[in-house]
Amino acid sequence: MEELILKLKQEIIEVLNLEDIKPEDIDNDAPLFGEGLGLDSIDALELIVLMEKNYGIKLQDPAKGKEIFKSINVMADYIQKNRTR
Amino acid sequence: MERKGLDCVVLNQGYACVNGRVLEHEAAGNALLAELYRNHIADWPKFFKMDTLSKAGFVASELLFKEIGDNRHEGDEFVQNRAIVLFGSTASLCADRNYQETIQDKDNYYPSPALFVYTLPNIVTGEIAIRNHYRGETSFYVLEEPDAAQMAFHLSCAFQDGATDSILAGWVDSTQNDDFQSFMTLIQKEDAADAGWLAGQLQLMINNLNK
Repeated sequence: MEELILKLKQEIIEVLNLEDIKPEDIDNDAPLFGEGLGLDSIDALELIVLMEKNYGIKLQDPAKGKEIFKSINVMADYIQKNRTR
Repeated sequence: MERKGLDCVVLNQGYACVNGRVLEHEAAGNALLAELYRNHIADWPKFFKMDTLSKAGFVASELLFKEIGDNRHEGDEFVQNRAIVLFGSTASLCADRNYQETIQDKDNYYPSPALFVYTLPNIVTGEIAIRNHYRGETSFYVLEEPDAAQMAFHLSCAFQDGATDSILAGWVDSTQNDDFQSFMTLIQKEDAADAGWLAGQLQLMINNLNK
């Protein structure tokens, strides 16, 4: 799980262009949106694309993203349980 | 008495100049914009998500405001009545190409929302307006090439709406991710009253775009 969490953090930093942020700067339990990393709605769409492209998870209901993207830990847990690649 | 020229910032992939003073730098291309951001701005992380066109316009506008001490105060009247009128020749072509790469291969078809949002040239005007809380007109005109007379004409017209008091104006163009040109200046209503003088000022900036 720790390996997946690190990989996920690196992917998020790359795909969302989070310059000057390192994986260790991202708290596993901190909210990704709002106060946490300060991501916005376009970032949420990019995370949906990332899940499909890298893990074969197609979110049928984009609204579910709100729950899945709660934190790195929640996101990694969802990926581990639902990934197809 | 000789009239003072307009303040201006001129940037291209290997050059950065504020009112005739060349800014020292090490990087070139897109990395130059990041270097200028880190050295002179540094408080707007959304910069790193922008396409090259928006980065070039954003950095030029920030350097200009820093030079003239034009601070952001949301309640100030000038903020309410300031327009942004920019010009360029290749519009959002660079961002269009980047986005197209994400939809080119049907077996690897993952359209990028973050790239898609920049596939309009006027997004650069929005980025600057959001940063500065401007609520005036924002426009992006596509011209075949920088044309001082035509730009002066459109800028003069923008003052005819009865509301605009000042305009952040300039040229912003990016043909590839590491290839860009921009100049930015601030024009007051009285500057536009003399279209010949304004065109002359813009021509001086245009002459420096390829330095």
